[in-house]
Amino acid sequence: MSTVNEILEKARLVPMLSQSALALMKLVESGDHSIQDIVRIVEHDPALTANVLKVVNAPAFGLGQSVTSLARAVSFIGDKLVVGIAIGSCSPTVFHSDLEGYESLAGELWLHSLRTAIASRELTKYARTEISPELAFTAGILHDIGKSLISDYLKDKTPELLDALTNNTAEDFLGAERDAVGVDHCQVGTALAEHWNLPDELTAPIHFHHDPAQADISLRAITYAVHLGDILAMMGGSSTGADGLAYTLDSGFEEYFTLEPQDIYQLLLTVSLEFERTKTLFFQ
Amino acid sequence: MNTIVLGVGEYGISRTPGTEIKTFALGSCIAVLLYDLKTKIGGMAHIALPHSSINPDRAQILPGYFSDTGVPALINSICSASGKANGKGLLVKLAGGANMMTTHTAFNIGERNLTAIRNDLDGKGLVAMAEDVGGAISRTVTLDVDTGKVMIHSPGRGAWEL
Repeated sequence: MSTVNEILEKARLVPMLSQSALALMKLVESGDHSIQDIVRIVEHDPALTANVLKVVNAPAFGLGQSVTSLARAVSFIGDKLVVGIAIGSCSPTVFHSDLEGYESLAGELWLHSLRTAIASRELTKYARTEISPELAFTAGILHDIGKSLISDYLKDKTPELLDALTNNTAEDFLGAERDAVGVDHCQVGTALAEHWNLPDELTAPIHFHHDPAQADISLRAITYAVHLGDILAMMGGSSTGADGLAYTLDSGFEEYFTLEPQDIYQLLLTVSLEFERTKTLFFQ
Repeated sequence: MNTIVLGVGEYGISRTPGTEIKTFALGSCIAVLLYDLKTKIGGMAHIALPHSSINPDRAQILPGYFSDTGVPALINSICSASGKANGKGLLVKLAGGANMMTTHTAFNIGERNLTAIRNDLDGKGLVAMAEDVGGAISRTVTLDVDTGKVMIHSPGRGAWEL
């Protein structure tokens, strides 16, 4: 079996997302739901219920009181973060393994994904057309799921990838991945997204977040939101290791977003503050 | 070794032997590193953005977040500890300020940070004696207070002295 087929086959062996995670994604992205709707899904998943209560009762959350009611916990945490907890907790091998091929420690992909999610959501405020902030957040959480699968195949080739960047034989890290193993983390992520039966609105940002102009026109705005969210996360210091900031910015974003330098400063600041507050909930 | 870890927008100094000052994963942010050879006091600021006018309230809470408040705050802190009248004679090094691979200037925050920090240092009569800036890499930076030695680590590229 070729390396490409082996990596893509590996995607088909990843455990499915939990039913509760899928249901929550669908509900929150519909934009028409109440806290009770979310509670009804979460309460049927004991592990997720425990994780939601753990987060809300963490000292870092700063409530200073014990919360035992799931409804209160969900109202404190917010629907988008509940979706993030659901996805993260049911796919630990995807989000919480170390990425040897990127020299990235366990947890760093999750932090990068969380920061990208927050940034993608904030970017929707600057969009020329309406983009669902809920969808942007979820797509941001999911955009790099391919990295956990391709990492093992890159681990002996990292110096080769970095040399390709230094010598300009690869356009960016994505091109270096393709040169090294025949496939990149976006293509592998797309295979996993299809295995998970994710909708096109989430699969497109996974597939095209480094080349958003290639997304179907109807999905291009959300894909650009994640493209820029990813970039803001890397600039803010949440990369996933050896790839650093070695990706290309597609200036086609101007068709979908109004962003002046002052806006980018504000975005970096806002995202940083919320990220610092939120990340402590997951690592204590 | 005692390690003082600085987060984004924080600055700190130390004269305690056996101490290192460290900041992790600089993207477009820049670490400003100062060292006084005479008193062996070292300091670092993890600067995220060029101007405090972006958010004056934040600058009040975390002056190290912005170049125009962080650079003077770090210099003043070292001068207070060392009894120096001003920052002249301090050794200055800079690390960080990475950029995405793009020609679009709006996202060149690393470059803007670098320009602002050089200007703010110049206003205090200081020039960096060494810089490891730009590119598209993430950097973790450590200052050894005993020696003033600065080490940079980047995933996949190992560690080197600045």
